Amino acid sequence: MEYRAYTGMNGLGNSKLVTDLQCLKEFTELSVNSKKAAVQRNQETSRKESEDESRLPVLEAAYATILRGIGEDTDRQGLLRTPARAAKAMQFLTKGYHESVYDILNDAIFDEDHDEMVIVKDIDMFSLCEHHLVPFFGKVHIGYLPNKKVVGLSKLARIVEIYSRRLQVQERLTKQIATAISEALQPTGVVVIIEAVHMCMIMRGVQKINSQTVTSTMLGIFREDHKTREEFLALVKSK
Amino acid sequence: MERSNQNEKLATNTQNNSVNGHFESVKKVRSRTSGTPGETVSRASPLMESWKEERTRSVEDNETSLPSIAAAYSTILSGLGEDPLRQGLLKTPWRAATAMQYFTKGYQEKIIDILNDAIFDEDHDEMVIVKDIDMFSMCEHHLVPIFGRVHIGYLPNKRVLGLSKLARIVEIYSRRLQVQERLTKQIAVAITEALQPAGVGVVIEATHMCMVMRGVQKMNSKTVTSTMLGVFREDPKTRDEFLTLIRS
Repeated sequence: MEYRAYTGMNGLGNSKLVTDLQCLKEFTELSVNSKKAAVQRNQETSRKESEDESRLPVLEAAYATILRGIGEDTDRQGLLRTPARAAKAMQFLTKGYHESVYDILNDAIFDEDHDEMVIVKDIDMFSLCEHHLVPFFGKVHIGYLPNKKVVGLSKLARIVEIYSRRLQVQERLTKQIATAISEALQPTGVVVIIEAVHMCMIMRGVQKINSQTVTSTMLGIFREDHKTREEFLALVKSK
Repeated sequence: MERSNQNEKLATNTQNNSVNGHFESVKKVRSRTSGTPGETVSRASPLMESWKEERTRSVEDNETSLPSIAAAYSTILSGLGEDPLRQGLLKTPWRAATAMQYFTKGYQEKIIDILNDAIFDEDHDEMVIVKDIDMFSMCEHHLVPIFGRVHIGYLPNKRVLGLSKLARIVEIYSRRLQVQERLTKQIAVAITEALQPAGVGVVIEATHMCMVMRGVQKMNSKTVTSTMLGVFREDPKTRDEFLTLIRS
């Protein structure tokens, strides 16, 4: 139902959403869904790539404090440049903040007369848990039923990259990927399944080594029609 | 300010290998008195002493340094372009600081505390192997996790060790900022010092997130390091037996 309202909104006029993109602070009388979409775009580029360099010293100083706080000797050979490396690594692991779906997708949407399921599975995903700043990683399986528009396949993986290279919660990540694909293509249905392993549960806390977390988002026909959903799940499980 | 009047030693930079006759260890001792900056003094210390005095952090230190680590994480969150006041991130600095202290809890522990009781005299001189010990460590260069498995084997010389103590030795040394080579060596040296066995072999196979999540991004790469001491180093047949048994 949420998805139906979406198509209605998108049908109204892409120009309105584009205007929103350009005037990020103006929230006009749109429905809650597109307000959420606008907020999403606002947060999508909350960091500019050009600012990364200037923020490095602050991050480095913070990492140096952490090293001293845990009882290490910051002058020993192995740790001399660790604050700089860790700061750069952390910026890399959160580079999704500078990217927006709009930028990477604009070119690669094609009109094809194809209305059978398209699945890209086993996309490796690496993200950071927003609660403990510890990695979680796994595989993403994406399927969609095109409605005359198909997207370049690698763009699905790039959408995963944009949203996963952030401080995330697995549920939100799954939904953001599904929503981005719906907005871009207006397909008949989209489904995203993520199976991931959370280091915050394995390395600390409960310490359950073999645990995996599976989340999924079904939109459109995948939500309504169980046979379509089963077809997707069967294709994803097959080796 | 985190610790005044307390000695801070390089817990992980000792490169002792007395079994081979080399003695390359140099330990720096930094004493911090309140107000004055630290002095660094180099001195070579005897092997047994280095093994017994490795703690650089105490439980009280953890509590005192928590606020500064949490503040540092808060700075990192804003430096990355996130909003530290949103619901999901409100308590993240504290959680991340506690998590980081947990991942480096090896600095609080001493081998001698966990081992002292569990050494037994047994008339056993066949190989003892404990394999597939899950290991989680932190890369000292990028502060990103390393995880994998440790396989330990030793040939006792009238003294055997409680089996879980081998896993505890792995825990002490892995829960630190580490380099895989050094970790392997420290585990082997600790067992040698504790038991004086005829030989020790330690093999670690690990995945480094710093190579998988960033940089070269090679998903399936694994790093294998090993340390063979005593008869494992000299006698190829013993080494073969050990390697075959850990593979099966």
